Amino acid sequence: MNRHEKAAVGAVALMLLAAGAIFLYAPTDYLQGPVQRIFYLHVSSAIAAYGCFAVVLIGGIVYLRNESLAADRFARAGALVGVVLTTVTLVMGSLWAKKVWGAYWVWDARLTSTLVLWIIYAGYLTVRRLAEPGRQAARFAAVVGIFGFIDVPVVHFSVTWWNTQHPGAVIINDALPPEMLATFFFTMFCTLVLAGVMIAIRYRIETLLDERHGVTEPARVVAARGAEAGAEPVP
Amino acid sequence: MNPVRVAVAVLRKDLRSEWRTRELVPALAQFVILALLIGNFGFQIDSRNAASIAPGILWLALVFAGLVAFGRAFAAEREQASLEAMLMTPASPVAVFAGKAMAAFGLLVLCEAVMLPALSLFFGTPLSIGVIAAVLLASVGMAALGCLFAAMVARVRARELLLPLLTLPLWIPFIIAGGSALQSAMGLPGNYQEAVGLLIDFDILFIVLTSLAARFVLDE
Repeated sequence: MNRHEKAAVGAVALMLLAAGAIFLYAPTDYLQGPVQRIFYLHVSSAIAAYGCFAVVLIGGIVYLRNESLAADRFARAGALVGVVLTTVTLVMGSLWAKKVWGAYWVWDARLTSTLVLWIIYAGYLTVRRLAEPGRQAARFAAVVGIFGFIDVPVVHFSVTWWNTQHPGAVIINDALPPEMLATFFFTMFCTLVLAGVMIAIRYRIETLLDERHGVTEPARVVAARGAEAGAEPVP
Repeated sequence: MNPVRVAVAVLRKDLRSEWRTRELVPALAQFVILALLIGNFGFQIDSRNAASIAPGILWLALVFAGLVAFGRAFAAEREQASLEAMLMTPASPVAVFAGKAMAAFGLLVLCEAVMLPALSLFFGTPLSIGVIAAVLLASVGMAALGCLFAAMVARVRARELLLPLLTLPLWIPFIIAGGSALQSAMGLPGNYQEAVGLLIDFDILFIVLTSLAARFVLDE
């Protein structure tokens, strides 16, 4: 097994442990019953998705500054994993909503802005698919990633002015019993590890794809890096 | 070179070429009238529900008309490779971008000048200062964002597909606040001032951001 395979096995094992904690350790919610167990993965994958989109944002900014291919590959990997995790959040959330609100979807601030988030980064992935791989596409995508990250809080707050149904923060408000809190933090940790491993694997795939498409760093970037390395004292 | 003069020169160039061909504005005007017609058949509008449905039809038509207008703003430049020529001059790319965005905003305003009276004529909604101000304020930010993305997709294949896909989600804040402002301006309950304040905030935010990004989009 290479190190990516080992990491993948480790992440899957952690997720199975989290499933065990969710179904066997955490107590059943008094009001909502077993459906409340959706909470653990629903919130964890949402937080992990925000993390992934932060990777896209930072990757985009770094790429615009110095055209580093690594930053662009991280951004691509982050967008893909983030869209997958947002899909998980949306699907699990709407199943939960059907049970407790009686509808799969309501046009609430949190739901609307999460859907917009999903659409923006799905658009990011479409740009990467349709544009010729290279400098132009990477710059273009970096701008999309930066604007996407800013648009989401804007949509969120603009809708909050008019209506809201999704519950607010329960973690920081100390509304959960300790067993639930422990399960939540463990699931969140496992989901973050899974997201990190997925990004690392996707990064490797993007590197291979770049090699296949003949995408290389521009000569002046390589030259600048060589100059930097040359300036360092030789041990 | 003075960036303001560059921007005004680009703006005048774009408006003059539109005036000489008279291509885009008549087509867009026909398009928005058609959209109102379709809205009428789709919703069965009467005087009781007009105030709640008309803003929705207006934003739908305006958003799609805007996509066409911004797509065209850079299509002509691309066909004749004139954008590259402009960028080779010492003029700053941000000034060139500002000129293009102002011209696209101007064309969108012309299109609104047809649409708002038509909306009022067909659906009996008021044509007040409040309605006009909300639509104009939303158009400013929409033009800045739309032009930035139009400039980017102009060099990518499948640009007709990509422009709506990328621009529409980023326009949602303007549609949320603009829709709310328009509904309260047309007599539905709502806080008009709050919505207009939000539109002004979004305009400032996105004008600053697009000016920062324009350098990376146009610079080649």
